Amino acid sequence: MTVGRDKLTGHLSPSNVVSLSHVTLRYDDLTALDDITLSVAEGERVCVLGANGSGKSTLASVICGLLAPDEGEVSLVGQQVFGPNGVDFAAYQRARRDLGLVFQNPDDQIVTSIVEEDIAFGPENLCLSSEEIGRRVDRELRRVALTDYARRDPSRLSGGQKQRVAIAGALAMEPRVLVLDEPGALLDVRGRRGIMRVMGQLHEQGTTIVHITHFMDEALAADRVVVLDHGRITLEGAPGEVFSHGDELAKLGLQMPFAARLATELRNRGLDVPWTCDERTLSASLAVAKPSNTGTSQFEASPTKQSDLALQVDNVSYTYHDEDMHKALKSISFGVTRGTSVAIVGQTGSGKSTLVRLLCALEAPDQGRIVVDGVDTHARRDRRKLHGKVGYVMQHPERQLFAETVLKDVAYGPTNLGLPHAEIQKRCAHALEVVGLTGKEDASPFQLSGGQQRLCAIAGVLAMRPHILVLDEPTAGLDPRGRRQLEHILEGIHESGVTTIRVTHSMDDAAKAQQVIVLSQAHILMQGTAQEVFSPANKQALHDAGLGLPEPLSFALSVGLETDPLTMNALVDSLIDLCAGEVS
Amino acid sequence: MAFRLKMGQYWPADSLLHRMDARAKVACALIIMVSVFFVHSLPQLLFSWAVALLLVALSHVPVTKVLQSVRPVVLMLCLLAICNLLLVRSGDALVSLGPLVITTGGVWAALLYSLRLVAAVLAAALLLLTTTPTQLTDAFDAGLAPLSRIGLPGHELAMVFSLMLRFIPTLADEASAILDAQTARGGALAEGSPIKRVRAVVPVIVALLASSLRHANGLSRALDARCYTGGAERSHWHPLHMELRDWLALLVIALYVVALFLLR
Repeated sequence: MTVGRDKLTGHLSPSNVVSLSHVTLRYDDLTALDDITLSVAEGERVCVLGANGSGKSTLASVICGLLAPDEGEVSLVGQQVFGPNGVDFAAYQRARRDLGLVFQNPDDQIVTSIVEEDIAFGPENLCLSSEEIGRRVDRELRRVALTDYARRDPSRLSGGQKQRVAIAGALAMEPRVLVLDEPGALLDVRGRRGIMRVMGQLHEQGTTIVHITHFMDEALAADRVVVLDHGRITLEGAPGEVFSHGDELAKLGLQMPFAARLATELRNRGLDVPWTCDERTLSASLAVAKPSNTGTSQFEASPTKQSDLALQVDNVSYTYHDEDMHKALKSISFGVTRGTSVAIVGQTGSGKSTLVRLLCALEAPDQGRIVVDGVDTHARRDRRKLHGKVGYVMQHPERQLFAETVLKDVAYGPTNLGLPHAEIQKRCAHALEVVGLTGKEDASPFQLSGGQQRLCAIAGVLAMRPHILVLDEPTAGLDPRGRRQLEHILEGIHESGVTTIRVTHSMDDAAKAQQVIVLSQAHILMQGTAQEVFSPANKQALHDAGLGLPEPLSFALSVGLETDPLTMNALVDSLIDLCAGEVS
Repeated sequence: MAFRLKMGQYWPADSLLHRMDARAKVACALIIMVSVFFVHSLPQLLFSWAVALLLVALSHVPVTKVLQSVRPVVLMLCLLAICNLLLVRSGDALVSLGPLVITTGGVWAALLYSLRLVAAVLAAALLLLTTTPTQLTDAFDAGLAPLSRIGLPGHELAMVFSLMLRFIPTLADEASAILDAQTARGGALAEGSPIKRVRAVVPVIVALLASSLRHANGLSRALDARCYTGGAERSHWHPLHMELRDWLALLVIALYVVALFLLR
């Protein structure tokens, strides 16, 4: 079904910079786009949502002129590039000069090793004069706030900064339409916010934007939202309109933005609030009491008994022996009780990755002592004993896949442990069952979908039966359905008694852990239970470290709740209690 | 993050060497590097070193930075020196301890062969430190222009060279991440017999190859989106210009070579 699609745009009218009419595109026997009709008006900001494999990226490629469809008509920036007579290559070449694309992985989009020279690359291809190129490079550097980084090597910037270089590179070509294909998928919260800010500015200045994303909250800023499923447009309209179809979105593997989810929950529980996607509207209708955050915070975790520690980190420091000799960790101490779930949060460069390498016994600390599962990691031979007992799921673990079949890849770890054949088979079967890949044993891991590849890599770690599981950003880049599925699997693993340690950018995910460790500039800024760390009193300290509070808690603060709910359910409960209290 | 390759590490600064035309700079560096192989006497050695150190001073690159970039090669040259010291048996014997014989000829060879190469390595390091990869590519492009004229992909080769400089650090980071992951899965990468080691490397190499293919896919999409067409006309933000100082630099280097030959 399609909602309100005639109001905002007419078909093939001259003010449309992008017009697709009955477009179908197939890869071999897979239909990626199925009879898509879509137009984008000059200056409009359109957001495309859809689960993995719904055809979003293909649509992005068609809109920016990199891919011609099999059927239908395509007209881009006034050029009829594909029509009944097929592809018009000359028109494609003309149109492409006015179309810009930014996609997921910034590393793949930067072609030179100096920031400003990379921004100049596009204009050079357009054969612009040297003065004009210089003018545009300066302007775009200023726009993405990277003027101070002009002569730097992009491979040494953070992910968010790299992505801003990529955006500047696209904008320097002065495109009439800018297509952003999941630009924030691989970034942390701060990096994503930076990208959203730049998009907001561009929209105000009249650039047409087509934004493809997995993050529902980002779609709220768009003029129009288009939802794709199996190559078809299933929903279309203003954000408020589209997100009112909550059940349908859930069926497509998507979800509603935070405020809409909360409003729906409250209304289901009988509270009389307006249904809205806008947090401010919702909090205005709820705002009652004055905020009273008098609670003082306790940073130190309660002392734990020595004997049942899965991990003990004692006054650990680590320095990289590279040219800068920078200290990655300074006097870190903490303990983790067996069976606990731990979240490690902190900005890029706070020392998280180094800490993870030390915990996984991949390296020994320069100073201090780390005892993992009762083994001191100082000696190399002891560290080797730990491989297997400590499972390590690296960032984007699908990059570790190498074998011809899923089964062989999963069996790599157990085989290295020197286990008997029957035991290896048993463990692999069990690990694949846990992640839900039973039946795929003989498939090539490279033929699985993105989400399945990640699950396969995780199964490869689980098959070693680790007592401690360390995960670095396990859900990064997944769509809402993939995120939920993985969360569920990880919960199961934790419940089976495995100590799980998870590095995450998401405060909402961290709030679900039993113990939270906040790293900032190589130090532990605070640690304790989620309730202790994420308390209103720590709001400023967390903000200064480039972090924030979980969404339910910041909402509770904005309406002046006195409890500190960390989850959606807790928030709904306290809001219901509050309103019930008022009535009586 | 665990290891970083130091290639094409540009050090931004404003100096005569930075401002020179990249083509002239590449030519000068190549001439210096070849010329050291004709150094056979002490005055020649001192002269070539004096010129190399003068260039370091002219480059405005901090001395520590220069030392860092030549360190790996200098370590190799030290090994070479030790070999020369122990294997060359000419001149008078200085030390004779059983099979260990050190001769005056050995000492001289050890010093000469490694010290003259240090001068060449310094020239190469300065070229990389004072020239942006784009300038290097452009110089490379100009050098390969005769190839393009006879229909070979000179320009494309230059572009590949530039992309190589760009992707080496990215792939190095990825390699160390994959290495970590496979080590944590019990892969013994630096242990056991040579055959075992070779077999242990496979999971890293295959994963890295898959990763490179993913990068290649993304990169081709990016090049298309930014209107890059191999072999097509493009303009340059900082076009190469041979100025008077570049011709003078070439002249000075030519005089240096003449002087070097006169010194023997």
